[in-house]
Amino acid sequence: MSAFLARNRLIVLAYAGMVVLLLVTALFSPGFLSVSNMRSTVVLAAFVGIVALGQTFVIIGGGIDLSVPWVLNSAAIIMALLCGGQDVPLVWVTPLLLAGGAFIGLINGVGVARFGVPPIIMTLATNVILQGLILVLTGGSPTPSAPALIQFLSVGRIGGFPVIALIWLALTLVATLLLSKAAFGRHLYALGTSATVAEFSGVPTARTTILTYVASGLTAAFAGMLLTGYSGQAYLGMGDAYLFTSIAAVAIGGASILGGSGHYLGTVAGAMVLTILTGLLPALNLSSGALLIVYGAVILLTVSIGSEAFAGLGGRLRRN
Amino acid sequence: MDLVTVNGLTKRYGGIVALSDATFSARAGEVHALLGENGAGKSTFIQILSGAVRHDGGSILIDGQDYRPANPDAAQARGIAAVFQELSLIPDLSVEQNIWFRHEPRTLLRTVNRGEMRRKTLALLEKYSFPTLRPDRELRRLTLAERQIVEIAKGLAKDPRIIILDEATSALPAREAEWLLKLTRQLAAEGRLVIFISHRMAEVRAIADRLTIFRNGATVAAHEANAVSDNEIVAQMIGRHLDRLYPERIPTATDRVALKVQGISSGSRLSGVEFALREGEVLGVGGLQGHGQRELFQALFGATRATGAVELWGKPVSIANPRQALTGRDGIALVPEDRRGQGLLLTKSVRENLTLSVIKRFTENGLLSRQKEAELVKEMVDFLRIKAGTPEQLAGTLSGGNQQKVIFGKMLLTQARILLLYDPTRGVDVGTKGEIFQLMRDLAAKGYAILFHSSDMPELVHVADRVMVMRNGRIAATLEGDHISEEEILRAAMLETRAA
Repeated sequence: MSAFLARNRLIVLAYAGMVVLLLVTALFSPGFLSVSNMRSTVVLAAFVGIVALGQTFVIIGGGIDLSVPWVLNSAAIIMALLCGGQDVPLVWVTPLLLAGGAFIGLINGVGVARFGVPPIIMTLATNVILQGLILVLTGGSPTPSAPALIQFLSVGRIGGFPVIALIWLALTLVATLLLSKAAFGRHLYALGTSATVAEFSGVPTARTTILTYVASGLTAAFAGMLLTGYSGQAYLGMGDAYLFTSIAAVAIGGASILGGSGHYLGTVAGAMVLTILTGLLPALNLSSGALLIVYGAVILLTVSIGSEAFAGLGGRLRRN
Repeated sequence: MDLVTVNGLTKRYGGIVALSDATFSARAGEVHALLGENGAGKSTFIQILSGAVRHDGGSILIDGQDYRPANPDAAQARGIAAVFQELSLIPDLSVEQNIWFRHEPRTLLRTVNRGEMRRKTLALLEKYSFPTLRPDRELRRLTLAERQIVEIAKGLAKDPRIIILDEATSALPAREAEWLLKLTRQLAAEGRLVIFISHRMAEVRAIADRLTIFRNGATVAAHEANAVSDNEIVAQMIGRHLDRLYPERIPTATDRVALKVQGISSGSRLSGVEFALREGEVLGVGGLQGHGQRELFQALFGATRATGAVELWGKPVSIANPRQALTGRDGIALVPEDRRGQGLLLTKSVRENLTLSVIKRFTENGLLSRQKEAELVKEMVDFLRIKAGTPEQLAGTLSGGNQQKVIFGKMLLTQARILLLYDPTRGVDVGTKGEIFQLMRDLAAKGYAILFHSSDMPELVHVADRVMVMRNGRIAATLEGDHISEEEILRAAMLETRAA
């Protein structure tokens, strides 16, 4: 058990931070720990968590995916347009959109793994291109409202539990199996630790890299559909916030932004921390500008605690 | 009186002694060659002289004055300039900006005096009859040979009394190498001391007045160049080694060919190499560093693009990447040159490193069986006697020898029976070296086929069944039986080499 704690110190730290933050928030706004408030916090965190799932894979593999906002936004808007508020078209729209998200991920992955384009450039470019495509497609006009089924998935409940929390739980299970219990996970950690060593060890480095971006495209598109259900409508710019939060959740969760370490279980805590923080700050009665400043500063602090621990470990290894 | 006198010079890096007792003396106006095998201490010696590294003990006198430079600037202030193999030039600056870097002629306003810089550059190039070089050309547009020439000009621009040329001819084509040898004589005639390092015996013969031989971090002899034979020099470079380190060599090679290579080429470093490695054989690959050994090993493993035909166990194959090389019992595995950069995930555990190449084998219905993995890891740790607290210890915290064993274990687990071992004992303690040699012979006896490169010649002599000597990307000679000796290897590797 102590070995487990030592190996996953940063993840444990993320959960400890989450608990502390919860208690502090409860101190400032006494109603915060109520069942209904916790429920809405988990729902909001689930959106961050689902987008950050693919991002976790990409970052562990040593990359980064900046195309998340407009993959999400595109999926949301196209779904709303194609369904026109009806449930029935979801039968073919859902697979289409998920395949579309995966395809964008495939393009990102192939660009990075096969053509050597730096991940930042590659995914930033796809993001901008998607943004342009959507603007051309919609002409900026508002879309029909989300199908009822999607709204149920986002805000509905089963036996008192938010449906989306159950979805998030299932996805967490899948991600954990992939990272801890499958060959893919070993390959991924090896790739992120040293692409050269992985290559010399026979790891399918290109395929593994591509798969991480495909996963990221998939989860971003899926989150876009669900988010439409939450807000009732798809609108331009709805994905923008998720660029920063998806990366910050991974980093707060204890992953090195340079790759090779971290776990989705940490990202889950990261997504919770970010969401609780957005609940805490209004309780402090700050202006919205000051709120953003504090939000940014807290994230910077959290992430640098993690990275300093990482740098210390690296330093010890070099000396040995 | 001698210009430079060195006594009992020592230098340690942690537990490794790079220089234990170097003595050296040289006069102004002579060309003085430094000779020795790779790792004999020549590089450390000139790094100390040029101020790049500080010595731990012993003394250096220049003109009878104590000399202990704190950095390369201090060395330059005492009139010492070094031209290294690793080029120190800045690609974005022009030829003349590089030559005068940090010593630019200034105007009264302290801005760079471009006219003066151009004049001084042209004067320098003319004085030493440099091959044509345009002073305003950006360095990145120059060939490797041209950059080497700029590096030499940069050294001379400081008007040094002592100039060190470290393998300066190795990057130069024939005509420029000729020029450099003439230049060297000219510099000596001007009363400067030229310390000249080369692995090409013919060059050393052509220009050196005296020579000093290094071995294992110490000076073993100094001679007037015309008073010693090539054979004596080679014998002194090699010295006498104890061979208890090496296991008994019982021939186990069968007639079955494991690896057949025909006309394999890669860039300019590897051209048309052909050989056959048999089941049960340890085939050594020798020669001076940088003559195609690295490219050969990487090409066979699919880590470098190459052309040519390769057969594994009688079947033609084309290996485009290491993953294709590591395909089970008929595959081909590599213990790479760079242990930390290519071989090991330093921040991951011994277990994760050992099973990285074969992790798929432990999955059932897509899920890993930690128990099956742990069993095999334990087996391999015991078999290779890897000294780790637990299999969960991070690989980066192991000693060099144990790190190397982990890489061996990873490759053995792939079950590939053709092993490419690139300098597997470098940076490994003597005890583990012995274990590695024994392991190689044991594996050969089990029918493995082993291609073995070592930068340490005695290892090839004592462990390999045959030795191929590489020179300029080709097999210069293949030595068998009684013909395998350090003298023969060195002779094949360097004696016939011309400055070409």
